[in-house]
Amino acid sequence: MTTAIDSAAVWPDDAEEVEEGVVSNWFVREGGHVEAGETVCEIQIEKVSVDVPAPESGTLVERTVGENEEFRRGDVLGRIETES
Amino acid sequence: MAKTESDPGTAGADRELTMSRAMVDAIASEMHADEEVFYMGEDVQDYGGIFDSTQGLLEEFDRDRVMDVPISETAYVGAAVGAAQAGMRPIAEIMFTDFVGVCLDQVYNQMAKNTYMSGSAVNVPMVLTTAVGGTYNDAAQHSQTLYGLFAHLPGMKVVVPSTAYDAKGLMHAAVRDDDPVVYMFHKRLMGIGWMPAPEGPKTPVPEDDYTIPIGEADVKREGSDVTVVTLGLHVHRALEAADELSGDVDVEVVDLQSLVPMDTQTVVESVEKTGRLVVVDEDYQSYGVTGEVTARVAERTPDALEAVERVAVPDVPIPYSRPLENEVNPQVGDVVEAVESVT
Repeated sequence: MTTAIDSAAVWPDDAEEVEEGVVSNWFVREGGHVEAGETVCEIQIEKVSVDVPAPESGTLVERTVGENEEFRRGDVLGRIETES
Repeated sequence: MAKTESDPGTAGADRELTMSRAMVDAIASEMHADEEVFYMGEDVQDYGGIFDSTQGLLEEFDRDRVMDVPISETAYVGAAVGAAQAGMRPIAEIMFTDFVGVCLDQVYNQMAKNTYMSGSAVNVPMVLTTAVGGTYNDAAQHSQTLYGLFAHLPGMKVVVPSTAYDAKGLMHAAVRDDDPVVYMFHKRLMGIGWMPAPEGPKTPVPEDDYTIPIGEADVKREGSDVTVVTLGLHVHRALEAADELSGDVDVEVVDLQSLVPMDTQTVVESVEKTGRLVVVDEDYQSYGVTGEVTARVAERTPDALEAVERVAVPDVPIPYSRPLENEVNPQVGDVVEAVESVT
């Protein structure tokens, strides 16, 4: 099954009124293995860096938002195929 | 070994780190291994370094091991020299390499010479980290590399990583060295959110410790027609130029990595193969790295050297204006032109 990496889940409390962000770095290649809780990417919201943890262990099958690309709050950043 | 909270880990080749995270990875590892290792600098504590050089360290270590200091480079670089002579292994950061002017005596007369001046009664096992380079319109007092200045003054080793893998290995080597090492990291390569890095510096980085020997160059791309010798950011610009030229000219790219000691042998061997040399540097041209590399090749293998070209910052202060800065800081196109001019 596939789990989405939800950008809204890591939204900082002091950025309630901000609606967009930028992915600055991915740390896992597509097809790479991740452990739950490990940082998969770094996003920037109003110039504040936020590390995004993997919600589940599995394989990163898709980077939905690429490096230096913008996204809206709630957009899916990537997808993890979990071991059943 | 414990990792910083922000560390994404590096299990296998699936994982890639930015240069800043690889640098912090090595510093944290050395601090865990040896309690005499500590970091001091301006805004390195809660801020994590303005170019992320200490990002996450404070989550793992106390404030007396990740120390913010007052704005007096003379005072804290001097303190680091004293601590090193007393047996500690300090890492002191000069926020911008441009600021070395205010503490140069502590760097080139004390840190670099005290082993000699004391007749080896003391040695100075410290690392002096500093951010270098331009490309983001920070003008003449915050955009220099000063590679040549540090490399010219005897008594200190000088390293310049160009990738995350190199950054970690060179940091381990620098901290473990019993003599002073200047560790110059290029801002544009760190992978900071607000200053996107080019393709290339983010690499797979093993979790385990490893060292890259100080004094060894790294052939980043093999080629048979022209040797491009460079360092720092311009390794990536040279690689991009080599890609553009592939099919027409087969370019070898040598990353110096260490300015002191310089791996003359690797450079000479490459020029003996290609016969043509282009040296690319983000420092001022005159009396600098490009002249030194060219001279070493000319001294050792004059018959092999058929053609040579230098690409560096013309001898002017770095302009603030974007088009003017781009004009003086060697671009990919400048490297392409230089390679074509020697073939």
